[in-house]
Amino acid sequence: MSVLHKLQFYFMHFMPYPDVAPDRPQGQWVDIPNSRFDPERGHKLYREYIDELVLGDRLGFDGLVVNEHHSTFYSLMPSCSIVAGALAMLTKRAKICVFGTPIALTYPHRLAEEYAMLDVMSGGRLECAFPLGTGMEYWVNPVNPSFARERFREGMDILMQAWTQPGPTRYDGKFYQYKYLNPFPLPYQKPHPKIYVVGSGTEETLNYAAEKGFGYSQVFTPIASQLKSFENYREIAVRNGHKPDSESIIISAMAYVAETEEKAVEEGRNHILFYFQKLLRTNAHINSPPGYLPVDRLRKRLEAGAVQDAEITWEMLTGVYRTVLGTPEQVAERIAFWCEQAKSSKIILHLHTGDMPHWKAVKNITLFAEEVIPRVRRLASSTLQAAE
Amino acid sequence: MTGFTKRDVVVDGICVQVLEAGRGEPLVYFHGAGTMTGFEGLLPLSKNRRLIVPIHPGFGASDDDIRIDSVLDYVIHYADLFDQFGLAEPVDLVGHSLGGWIASMFAVLKGHRVRRLALACPAGLRVSAHPTADLFTIPADKFAPYLVASPEILARMAAVNVTIDMKVGRYREMTSLARIAWDRNYEPKFERWLPNVAIPTLILWGEEDRAIPAAQARYWADLLPNAEVAMLPGVGHLMFFESSAAVKRLGTFFEQDIGNLKKAAG
Repeated sequence: MSVLHKLQFYFMHFMPYPDVAPDRPQGQWVDIPNSRFDPERGHKLYREYIDELVLGDRLGFDGLVVNEHHSTFYSLMPSCSIVAGALAMLTKRAKICVFGTPIALTYPHRLAEEYAMLDVMSGGRLECAFPLGTGMEYWVNPVNPSFARERFREGMDILMQAWTQPGPTRYDGKFYQYKYLNPFPLPYQKPHPKIYVVGSGTEETLNYAAEKGFGYSQVFTPIASQLKSFENYREIAVRNGHKPDSESIIISAMAYVAETEEKAVEEGRNHILFYFQKLLRTNAHINSPPGYLPVDRLRKRLEAGAVQDAEITWEMLTGVYRTVLGTPEQVAERIAFWCEQAKSSKIILHLHTGDMPHWKAVKNITLFAEEVIPRVRRLASSTLQAAE
Repeated sequence: MTGFTKRDVVVDGICVQVLEAGRGEPLVYFHGAGTMTGFEGLLPLSKNRRLIVPIHPGFGASDDDIRIDSVLDYVIHYADLFDQFGLAEPVDLVGHSLGGWIASMFAVLKGHRVRRLALACPAGLRVSAHPTADLFTIPADKFAPYLVASPEILARMAAVNVTIDMKVGRYREMTSLARIAWDRNYEPKFERWLPNVAIPTLILWGEEDRAIPAAQARYWADLLPNAEVAMLPGVGHLMFFESSAAVKRLGTFFEQDIGNLKKAAG
């Protein structure tokens, strides 16, 4: 049966601060002049962004996704739990996916507590994706990047112990020692909310997710390398006795829907470019603090040519990454294709991008929910009929 | 004066490279956090001494040791290496930059194994008024001016971060440094520990050092009860790469009381 049959549409928001600092070829992270922050502007943006997510719930998206970054115009969410807390109370039915707090950057028991709160507050609608955190986060948090991966794993062990073993328990680790590991409250969902690991394609993160039986998602990396990662993931997961299904892999795409293709390009293109060229842009110094990358990974990156430092072009975005702008038919067709190609039934849509104004985001979210989702669902039933 | 001979030695299961030159009483050199500029400048010290330059695990041609995540771990490694080299009598020890931090810690914990100690612009002390530059925050292309003073030497530095091998090599060494010094590029307890090091010590510093300010020399001298200070005008952080005067000054320091050493050894 086609993955389209059970396809779930998640709407993700980065909550950028679009008034970026000029003349920064190194990007908008870490050592940005934070005096550019205008609290009144910030307040307005939070209201708009949260309204957009709540609209997504009302219009029928299956999930809402928030994530976390620090010291950057890329994101107004240095704590995704705070926004998720607001969503837990303002929404009724959509899953809330924290994509999430890098566990190495906080106390693991505290994250277990906060996420449990969110799950209980939302009545069991929480899903958790755990990233290592970008290299940039390690410049602005007092955590040694050369132990990031080790600390991540220990943090995950603590969180899983906290959620799955009746407390109090004890934990004696390299980074943490808990005399009484005893979070209260505990998650609403049993044994615990769905767990994903967010990777960037490094083998060790993928292996870790597959070995532990967690789901897996890969951030902006070329489609071809993602598909290869997904195959490896499934193979390793099965070898470790897990049963990965179509929900085990989350893919993501940027989409802008309008009445015509021309209009979609005219309205959406520059905001997507703004995202890639201004907000996502970094350099090797900023994105790879010493120890953050395994040395052999850096070699592979350098040998492949440093994409990060190059100007990202529109052709790359639409050819190598999942970006689609067009009519509801065109967008639905691409979404269906990507999900089938990745054998994934869970797709995250970036429907607000870069410096997109509120009205365009509302238009895009509405058209996607009302015109694209039903079309993909119809495609699913036609493939089902064809199969029969 | 011939070049170094290189040999691989396995210390506690880790293969490290050791450079050696000359014959005579041993003189051990702990290098700093970068090995890219080489150690040829030290060769005059091997004229009548056995100069030993072990490459730290995680640097240069030595293997990584993932068990190492503190300066103390390097001290343990070097106590093993000294045993393996039969350095049973107290030796003369030089530490440059990060190597100065390791050598100081070695002197704190294994002081009976050191006859005379030279600290060349050592890292490891917290001096709030003249802080050590946070080299992690300096991008590779802006790094060299922090390390050397003269423009001619700077030109020689230009070629050390060009190829992929060099970039990967540098990232690896910075990773090894991060494992021990990302959280703090100093040992907060040195102020309490260093006054116990009574070994005759030379504090040697390039006046133009931009990585670890020369003004820190006085603080080391105040803490170490048996220290003398020598300043090198016009010299930066990589003093032995930059200045033959720095090497000469070291030689003079270690020549003192050498007779006693020979007597003890004999």
